[in-house]
Amino acid sequence: MIHSLKLTVQQRPEVIERVLRVTRHRGFTVTQMQMRMNDDASLSLDMEVDSERAIELLSNQLNKLIDVTQCMVLLPLNLQQQKVHA
Amino acid sequence: MEPGQMIRGADAVIKVLAAHGVTTVFGYPGGAIMPIYDALYGSPVEHLLSRHEQGAAFAAVGYARASGKTGVCFATSGPGATNLITSLADALLDSVPVVAITGQVSTAVIGTDAFQEIDVLGMSLSCTKHSFMVTDVNDLIPTLYQAFEIAASGRPGPVLVDIPKDIQIAHLEYRTPLLAVTNEPQAEMSDIDAARALLAQAKQPMLYVGGGVGMAGAVDQLRDFINTTGMPSVATLKGLGSIAHGTPGYLGMLGMHGGKAANLAVQDCDLLVVAGARFDDRVTGRLATFANKAKVIHLDIDAAELGKLRQPDVAIAGDLRQIFPALAMSLNITPWQVEVEHLVRKHQWDYQHPGSLIYAPAMLRRLANKLPEDSVVCCDVGQHQMWVAQHMWFRRPEDHLSSAGLGTMGFGLPAAIGAQVARPDATVVTVSGDGSFMMNVQELTTIKRRKLPVKILLIDNQKLGMVKQWQQLFFEARYSETDLSDNPDFVLLASAFDIPGRTIFSSDEVEEALTEMLAAKGPYLLHVAIDDAFNVWPLVPPGASNSDMMDEMEKQT
Repeated sequence: MIHSLKLTVQQRPEVIERVLRVTRHRGFTVTQMQMRMNDDASLSLDMEVDSERAIELLSNQLNKLIDVTQCMVLLPLNLQQQKVHA
Repeated sequence: MEPGQMIRGADAVIKVLAAHGVTTVFGYPGGAIMPIYDALYGSPVEHLLSRHEQGAAFAAVGYARASGKTGVCFATSGPGATNLITSLADALLDSVPVVAITGQVSTAVIGTDAFQEIDVLGMSLSCTKHSFMVTDVNDLIPTLYQAFEIAASGRPGPVLVDIPKDIQIAHLEYRTPLLAVTNEPQAEMSDIDAARALLAQAKQPMLYVGGGVGMAGAVDQLRDFINTTGMPSVATLKGLGSIAHGTPGYLGMLGMHGGKAANLAVQDCDLLVVAGARFDDRVTGRLATFANKAKVIHLDIDAAELGKLRQPDVAIAGDLRQIFPALAMSLNITPWQVEVEHLVRKHQWDYQHPGSLIYAPAMLRRLANKLPEDSVVCCDVGQHQMWVAQHMWFRRPEDHLSSAGLGTMGFGLPAAIGAQVARPDATVVTVSGDGSFMMNVQELTTIKRRKLPVKILLIDNQKLGMVKQWQQLFFEARYSETDLSDNPDFVLLASAFDIPGRTIFSSDEVEEALTEMLAAKGPYLLHVAIDDAFNVWPLVPPGASNSDMMDEMEKQT
């Protein structure tokens, strides 16, 4: 199942490695990734990941990384649409 | 120091350690960390020279676990840093606060494959809670302060700070940084209410206590909670010592080598209260069948553990020192308490072992009963480790140091060194096996150097016993590479390090030999020859449910 994550992380040289390492080790494959440098010494990172595992197993671990300031799981697209329709 | 006075980065490192109350550092010098060793020379911070960086970092782990303080170790770049990795991984899996400081080649040559250069920051990602490489001398002091804060806060863990040599010799003005204090999670009142409602309904509740209780400093609150609720309890390997020996309804360790009463009671409970524990596979056996009639209340400071392996009915992330008092209530569970007491009586350990062979479980029970109040028992990994967990008892969790999560052979001797430094008046005994002992045997020199009165109880079956046991049970007795009958003469080996000792072979020598070992003023090695036919029982076979324990009788049929 594909999940979308929106992360805000601190600009450190190794921060992307940290995020990718945890993602791989916890059983998720990155299928898409986009990164932007922000003016406030942070980075925005949008990721799509694929796994049979529950997304909380990844988001909880990413949240523990010291340099991750925010990790949001976006609802799957079909659920977002349902929400709009409701 | 005058305001505005400039000092070297290396001097600032030692000043930050002193500011954090660090009195002893464990380490090994080398090229890229020489300025820091120069700053150490003549400073009030004592340094204990190990003979391998893995030993230094394990000593820091032992120091931290025996004292509750943060352990500190030093290593140089390249091989110095790679040698630390195993111990840092051990500290990560057992949530031990350690700050490791490594020297690195100068920033100008990082990335050129310089002499003794390896990407330590890259290596550290999977075996530390967090790590830093300092590339600007003005970041040095705030980074070190942050390292101490991260290591000890929340769920503790190891933090590595890699400091290039040019940063160590660059000058800076020493200023104490202002630090944001980590916000610890706070338990929600609604969750506390939900947990209390489950407790009130439970007819057969069990308490499953892990290492997190001791790490949180919540042992007293746990004991009050048990007194108030009367709830029967079990502990993990790291949780041993949290519940007082002799507490009614306390069944000892659960899991793969747990007691039968402990495993059966957990399998039968209708409510499992999990405190500072994480449903490790060595605890649960086949997860799907683990306590499968029970609702679960899971308490932990680390929110990522809640629902990781078992979905709890109520999950509370927070400080156990506050959660236990909030949950304490008297329970009406007399029939269950009676049933548990019946299980205890039915499955008591049997120490009657006629004949002259030394029966290690009985010897370890005897040792536990003889130890003075202020004692620390360290162990290595394997059969002896499980016998220690099953048959010894501990007053506090910081009195039992065992490599639980990583299961690292070679842990015991250096951990005992750290424990003895942290608690110089304590009787420190390291129980080891003939396989594990050889893995960090070079640390006997550290004992000699500091005349540390560490006692070594070496249980020798001339086998890599736990692997041999599994070969016997699950690999058709094909004993691949587990024969260690060419071990050295251990007593002679110890004597080369000025450590006296003796060998015993017979059960009638045990009492007097233990007395002699404990009475020794300095270090001592008691080498105990046992028969390799003794295995660790009971055992939950891999992939089986905790209800299906094998014991010795079944093996023989």
